[in-house]
Amino acid sequence: MAEITATARNGDDSARPARPFQRFGAWLSQEKVFRWIPFVLVEGTLILVIVIPFLLTIYISFLRWRANRPFEQATLTGFRNYEQVLTDDGFWAALGRTFYFAGSAVLLELFIGFVLAMLVHRITRGRRIYITIFLIPMMVVPVVAGYNFSMIYLDSGPLNQLIAPLVEPFGIDPRIRWLSNPAAAQWAIILADVWQWTSLTFLIFLSGFSALPPQLINAARVMGASPRQIFFWVELPLLKPAIVIAVVIRSMEALKLFDPVVLLTFGGPGTSTQTIAYYLWEQVWQFNKFSFGAAASILLLIIFSVLIFTGIWLLTRQSAALKRERMQ
Amino acid sequence: MLENSLFRNADPDFFAEWKEQTGVEVIAEPLGYTDIPSKVMGECVAKTGAFDIFNDFPYTQPDAASCGVLMSMDDFAAKGQPDFSGIPDAFVAQQKYNGQQYSMVLDGDHIMLVLRKDIVENEQARAEFKEATGKDLGCPATMADWEEQAKFFHTEAGQTRWGITFEQPLYGAMGYRSVNFSHRHFPAYFGGLLFDEDMNPRINTEQGINAIKAFSSIVQYMPEDIQGWGTPQIYPFWRSGQAYSVMSFPSIFGNANATEDSKVKGQQIPCVIPATTAGGEPVRRAAEAAGTGYMINANGKHPELAYWYIQWLTSPSVGNRAIAHPKGFWDPYRTQNLGDPGIIEKFGEEFLETTMENAKYTTSLLFIEGHYEYMKILDDNLADVMNGNITAEEAAANIEAGWNDVTEDIGRDNQIEVYRKGVEDGLYVDKF
Repeated sequence: MAEITATARNGDDSARPARPFQRFGAWLSQEKVFRWIPFVLVEGTLILVIVIPFLLTIYISFLRWRANRPFEQATLTGFRNYEQVLTDDGFWAALGRTFYFAGSAVLLELFIGFVLAMLVHRITRGRRIYITIFLIPMMVVPVVAGYNFSMIYLDSGPLNQLIAPLVEPFGIDPRIRWLSNPAAAQWAIILADVWQWTSLTFLIFLSGFSALPPQLINAARVMGASPRQIFFWVELPLLKPAIVIAVVIRSMEALKLFDPVVLLTFGGPGTSTQTIAYYLWEQVWQFNKFSFGAAASILLLIIFSVLIFTGIWLLTRQSAALKRERMQ
Repeated sequence: MLENSLFRNADPDFFAEWKEQTGVEVIAEPLGYTDIPSKVMGECVAKTGAFDIFNDFPYTQPDAASCGVLMSMDDFAAKGQPDFSGIPDAFVAQQKYNGQQYSMVLDGDHIMLVLRKDIVENEQARAEFKEATGKDLGCPATMADWEEQAKFFHTEAGQTRWGITFEQPLYGAMGYRSVNFSHRHFPAYFGGLLFDEDMNPRINTEQGINAIKAFSSIVQYMPEDIQGWGTPQIYPFWRSGQAYSVMSFPSIFGNANATEDSKVKGQQIPCVIPATTAGGEPVRRAAEAAGTGYMINANGKHPELAYWYIQWLTSPSVGNRAIAHPKGFWDPYRTQNLGDPGIIEKFGEEFLETTMENAKYTTSLLFIEGHYEYMKILDDNLADVMNGNITAEEAAANIEAGWNDVTEDIGRDNQIEVYRKGVEDGLYVDKF
């Protein structure tokens, strides 16, 4: 009896048939199977998350289907949706407006972010406090930021009260209609975006400044270069990759500008603040034009891909040039 | 229930009462009313069955019913025999789409005009107005009369008129002029059917162009930011006493009387919607600008329970209590509301009589598939006219072309059939 118990305790498992998951584990651990696991996981996820929805979007873009009719009633319609998108003035106007918003916002974000990063990089006391403060906007939930700006932009709100003493002496009406004047509303959107996302460019530039090789700067200083010369001839060229990264990342995001538009103006007055992301949302989720939206999305994907690949090409060209300079 | 968040403070009392009576608990998921239509259409595609009841504007109904996400209430109603007595025709018709009942309404959101009583009853102001225009001051008979009053009372800051020194400007008029809202007021200016019986737009006509001009013209007497304002801006501004008149949802009247710091508390005159003369003869049309309807999700898990709750809530007796609820935003709309003590206490007899008179002129907004797209085209072009980018004639042509595109895209035959049925049912007051 004692012998039998001891055998059981010692775990002589070979006598028992393996459980299914143990057999599965053993099968997975075989070299010929194991090496395929990462591939299957990565490719499977890619197919599920990207390829299938993408193919479905392409398929829907060739259908005639509004969501206010059952999908079963959809019919193939060839390139009709693409033709409609390309001949729709609203699409091109929204696209143009998006480039205007994104261009203006990204330029301001780059400039302000760069200046702030340069200043913070140079100070020694209270640096962490400044970094924390400048990063806060990026961490604010966009809905909260949008609501705050809707209060700030009120006709009798704090922004106009701040501006009043500056412009009133010149006889200019200080009551800027931030959300109802078409041009002012556009800048209201741009400024809200700049406030929130300058943090990101600041962070990128700050890491760029922190990564500058001190020996090069010291060498320039020893050779008699002025601070201005050091900045323009040493630091700025070395920061080019960081600048390109900031441009690419922020441009990609700014082209998708949506939150402040919905939260502040709903695309108005008229269509003056309607970006391409808002336009698409409206076509699909307000007007139920899923096929039209799918075709517009594919066209946008092509347009934005060209831009993004151009950006990446610039980035790699800059990196290569920098490497060559260092080698020399 | 996917709940319009306006009712999140009042609904729990009715949920509790329903649970006490039936043991059935209603759980609500509040959402802003601008987001609900896309949620409903999302449910149409996803078919999650997460909600049993949709609480939204009736205008979501055409798209939602067509895609199959709404369950027809006809079978349940045959058993339940709901009481629709005392409800104006346009409201009853809004409960149906293409011949089937898909919703029950509990809200009279037909727009009305409110004037400042303290100014209208100012003897000096009355005399000056009479002298300037030859007319007695009071509720304006036509839109042109309203604009005339707005022009007369529009006062710049610092001016002293009728013995009152205005430290802040007094705007002659206020109304909804932003995208997503302009179209809700436009029928009051147009005064007729927007399409003929073959779904040809009637906007690019003298009547349409006159309506666009009148709609845009009065903006010069409104606050400069009016095109960016919705209810959260318009209601407080009216309460601040900086306007002579406002055309709005009727709840503005009760809101201004019930708010503690309101400067127009007890100083309001409710008026029946002024008549438009865009088509020649004066016609009063108070658009049902929003409204609150209750619909059943066809994918929901408890459709019959949903129906019984809806019928109970919208019934005359419970509906009266809902409309009288101090935290609710439901407005009076049926004759049974007139005699209810709670409603009289909340709204006042003068307002009730006016809003019920106004209900006679209530017309639905366009109640066909593609409602939001048709109306967006109208809103965008009205905004362009108000901003001086295009003329009323150009806007009318643009709207006509845009509406035709939508009609063709959805299917003209289908739209004609549904539109004709709606006109026959009395949705728009007007007939072909």
